[in-house]
Amino acid sequence: MAIRIAAVGDVHMDEDVVGRFRPALEQLPGSADVLLLAGDLTRHGTEDEARCVAREFGGLGVPVIAVLGNHDHQCDQVPQVVGALEEAGIIVLEGNGVVLDCVGGRLGVAGVKGFGGGFAGRCASDFGEPEMKAFVHTTTESADRLGEALQSLECDMLVALTHYSPVPDTLAGEPLEIYPFLGCYQLGQAIDSAPTALALHGHAHHGSERGTTPAGIRVRNVAHPVIKQAYSVYHLGDHLDQAQVSGVGAGGIQQPWS
Amino acid sequence: MTTHRDYGTGPPDEYVEAEIHRMLTEDPAVAEQGITVVRRERALVLSGEVESAHRREEILRRVAERFPDVPITTDIGVIRAQAPTEIEQLP
Repeated sequence: MAIRIAAVGDVHMDEDVVGRFRPALEQLPGSADVLLLAGDLTRHGTEDEARCVAREFGGLGVPVIAVLGNHDHQCDQVPQVVGALEEAGIIVLEGNGVVLDCVGGRLGVAGVKGFGGGFAGRCASDFGEPEMKAFVHTTTESADRLGEALQSLECDMLVALTHYSPVPDTLAGEPLEIYPFLGCYQLGQAIDSAPTALALHGHAHHGSERGTTPAGIRVRNVAHPVIKQAYSVYHLGDHLDQAQVSGVGAGGIQQPWS
Repeated sequence: MTTHRDYGTGPPDEYVEAEIHRMLTEDPAVAEQGITVVRRERALVLSGEVESAHRREEILRRVAERFPDVPITTDIGVIRAQAPTEIEQLP
């Protein structure tokens, strides 16, 4: 059996969007073991918007695990946002992880929002003005927490969930000039410090879907404007035929796994 | 936000482009980071995708309100939200 992961990010919920995802989400119990939300769940990070997220993504019949994004911080109501999500049964990760017992094995998910900073050789340094040092400290602390969370989980399959990107590959399509605001290599380094099977992120609306870390771990940008569907579904399993790597399940997600 | 004081009547300049780009994110009625602003010969083109038709209309309304003299062309879509028909297998 494979572990089946559904994922989407950057859904930017508010009253005007409630109900758009629900018909597709109702199909999740038959097609996925878990739904991962890769941040930017709201437009401005208000409690009211978080309640819209709770209505749309709560009570789905599969566990829902989320990290927050930069939009979810805009109104400085993070505790209220997290509270509204947790009331609906959504698990919110920030520098920690959770292990789920799925039919295909124990799935460990470690999550952190992450931060910008840039990528190897083209990144911000911990040097100079206090503002710049604070920026880089935010980057490194966030990545360190992700690394520790990934290393702490006892599971059969390990997944990293962030909002900011751990690699530049999945930013292809974004202007090069803004890469330092879209992610940082330290998140990739954290992912590579553990036996991670898959890393999922959002944030880069004009980016592309696929990439790998320097150690070869697969990365997927699941930002809604990138995947252009309610969520993507990934099947993870050691036994899967190598010829099927990144293949497409013939017949779509309705076909039983074999 | 820095205010651009003279929009003039000629083609939109780089500062107007920058101001509109920031407005799309910083204006609470819009709050979109995924809209691209490109300066063409005769107009500014706003492109990208948003979560609802209401948000697209709001972008047009706010930009027209703030920059009534700037010629704007838009190509903003609403992101599809259907269930996936394919999976990806990752051994």
